[in-house]
Amino acid sequence: MTPDSASTLQASIDALPRLAPAIFVTGKGGVGKTTMAAGLVCAAVDAGTRAVLVEFGDGASGRRALGQARDRIEHVIIDPRRAVMQAAGPVFGSPLLAKIALGNFAMKPMINSAPALRELAVLELCRQTVVDNPGARVVFDMPATGHGVAWLRVAEQIGKLTRRGPLYDVCARVQNELLKPGRASIAVVTLPERLVLTETLELCQQLDEEVGLPVDRLVVNRVPPVPEAQALTDARRVAAAGGDVGAAAARLVEVLSVRSRMRAEVVEVLEQVALHEHARGLTRLPMAPADPHGPEVAAWLREAGAA
Amino acid sequence: MSRPQTYVCAGGGGVGKTTASAALALTLARRGERVLVVSIDPARRLADALGVKLGGHATAVQMDAGDGALFAMMPDPRDSMQTFINILFENEPEALERMLKNRLYQMLENAVPGMHELVAMTLTWRAVDEHEVSALVIDTAPSRNAVDFISYPDRLAKLLGGRAVTWLSALARSDGEQRPKGRAGKLLDRVLGPAVGDLAGFFGELARVRGRFVELNEGMAELLLGSRSSYLVVAAPTGAARDDAAYLIRRLEKLIGRPAALIVNAAMAPERAWAQTLSGASETTAAMGRAIELLEREAERRARASQKVVESLQRRHANIPLWRLPFVEALSPREVVEQLSTALSSLVPA
Repeated sequence: MTPDSASTLQASIDALPRLAPAIFVTGKGGVGKTTMAAGLVCAAVDAGTRAVLVEFGDGASGRRALGQARDRIEHVIIDPRRAVMQAAGPVFGSPLLAKIALGNFAMKPMINSAPALRELAVLELCRQTVVDNPGARVVFDMPATGHGVAWLRVAEQIGKLTRRGPLYDVCARVQNELLKPGRASIAVVTLPERLVLTETLELCQQLDEEVGLPVDRLVVNRVPPVPEAQALTDARRVAAAGGDVGAAAARLVEVLSVRSRMRAEVVEVLEQVALHEHARGLTRLPMAPADPHGPEVAAWLREAGAA
Repeated sequence: MSRPQTYVCAGGGGVGKTTASAALALTLARRGERVLVVSIDPARRLADALGVKLGGHATAVQMDAGDGALFAMMPDPRDSMQTFINILFENEPEALERMLKNRLYQMLENAVPGMHELVAMTLTWRAVDEHEVSALVIDTAPSRNAVDFISYPDRLAKLLGGRAVTWLSALARSDGEQRPKGRAGKLLDRVLGPAVGDLAGFFGELARVRGRFVELNEGMAELLLGSRSSYLVVAAPTGAARDDAAYLIRRLEKLIGRPAALIVNAAMAPERAWAQTLSGASETTAAMGRAIELLEREAERRARASQKVVESLQRRHANIPLWRLPFVEALSPREVVEQLSTALSSLVPA
C-alpha cells in the first residue's frame, strides 16, 4: 500500500459519519450482522443511551449475540408472519374491520403468498417501534440481502401503486418518519474477501441510489491477524536447509504465505473500498476464533470510533 | 429419461454451503457419474469455487473428474420472473403482453419468493435431459427457509385454482371497471385504491395458465421429492450455524423427511505435528516462535469452539449421520473444493 492510499484509508476511518437514531444492519448471510447489531446496542447502553435491538425471527440469535448483556437491553421480536394482522388494525380503522377484510377467504391465501404486503407491514411495525422509543437508539438486525434492498423499497413502490387511501398513508408514514436520512442510518456488514466486497459495494450503491438512505457504516468483519513478516523470511531459510526441521518449516512457510497473500488482498480491496464514493464509515473488526458477544463487539467499535 | 440421483444442500449463511456442494459434485464425478451442480444461491459463489464463468445453461467444468463428467449452472435471479413468465405464457402471447404491463407484476418482478427456485429447477430439468446427467447437486439459498420453496408452487397452484382467484378476477371485469362484491370487496377497494385492478388482473392472468404452472410444478417435484433425492444440511462450527441447522432439520422433517446427513464444515483442525517439531528445534528463530504461538493459540480456540458445536449437534441430532470436514486454508477456492472433495470421498455412501 502506498503512503498516499494509506492516508486515504486512515482518513476515511477517522471521519466516521454520525449514526441516526434508527440503524438498519444489513449484509449477506453469515457475515456477522446479528453480532454487529448487538455490538451497536451494547455500545449505546454503555454510553448511557437507551437502546432497543429489533430482530425478525424467533429471538434466539439476538439473545445469543447479546450474551451477558441481554438483561440490560430491550429486545423486540417482530414476527413477519403475524405482521400483516398487527399492522392492519389502524389501516382498516379497527382490528375487527381488519379481520373482516383480511380473514376473508380470498384475502387470506393472497396475503400468505404476497411478499410485498408482509414486508410493508414489517416496516410499519419498525416505524412504530422507533416512534414508541423517542431518544433511544433502535437497531434493526435485517434479514440477509438480496431481499434487503427490495424490502426497504416496498413502501415507496406500494405507495406509487395505490396513490391514495389508507394503504397509501401507511407507505407515506413509513417513508417520512422512518426511511429518511437523519432518521435512519444503514450499517452494512461484510467480509474481507474480494468477491464479497465487490457485491457489498454494489449493495452500498443500490442503498444510496434506490433507497436514498446513507450507508453510514461499512464494517469489514473478521480481518485475519497476520504474523510478522520476519517469521516468513526465517521459515524460508530454515526450510531451504532440508531435513525434518526443514520439512516442518516448509509447512509453516505454506501457512504463512497463504495468510500474507490473504492480507495483501484484504489491504488491496480495502484501498479500493476506501476510495469508493458510496462507502462511508469504513470500520475494520478483527477475526475471532469463537463467536464474539455484544459487549466484546461494542469495545471493538469504540476502539474504531464507530460506536 | 431416467431420473438422476439428487442431493439438495441447505444451510444458513456463510457456512460454506456452495463450496461443500461443489466438492460433493466433484466427489460424485470422480466415482464415474455425470454430475450437474446447480446453484440457486443468489450470492453466486459457485462460479468462483469452480473457477469458471456460469449462467443459466449447463457448462462443462474442467477439473480432474476421473471417468465422470462435471457440469455446473448458476441461473441469474434477476432474470427469473421474466424467464418464468415467458415459459408460463409461451402459448398465450396476448395474456403475456397484458401481464408485462401489469403494475403489480412490474413491482414484483424480483421479489417473489420461490420463483427463482422454480425457474432454476425448470432450467435444470432441461439440462439434465440434454447432458444425460446421472447425479444432481443443488445448492440452495442461504436461508432458514431455503427448502420452503418446495411447497410454494403447490400453494400457488392451489391458490390459482381456488375460489379466491375467481373472486379477485371478478373485481377487474366490466371493461376494467372494478366491481367489488360484498363488504370485504368494498373494504379492499377502499384500502387498495386504484391498485385493486392490478391485483385482480395479475391473478386473473395467472389463473389462465394454471395448467402450465401445474406441469412445471410436477417436473420440479419429480426432481426434488422422488425416491432418488436426499437432503443434506450444511453447518459450520458457530452458534448461529448450529441454530440454523436445527431449524432447517425441523423444517425438512416436516416437509420431506429426515436429512441424509449433517455436514459440518471447518470442523477439524489441520494436522499440526510440524508445529511441535519446530517448537523443539534450535533452528527456529524468535519470530518463527511467535508466529507458531499465534497460529497454535488460534487453532486451539477454534478447535475448542468447534468441538463444543459438533458435540451439541451430535446430541441434538443423534439419528442423523454427521460428516465432519476439515478447516482448509488455501488461497484458491478451487483448491479448497479439491481438498473437501477428497475428505467427502470416504463419507458419501456409494
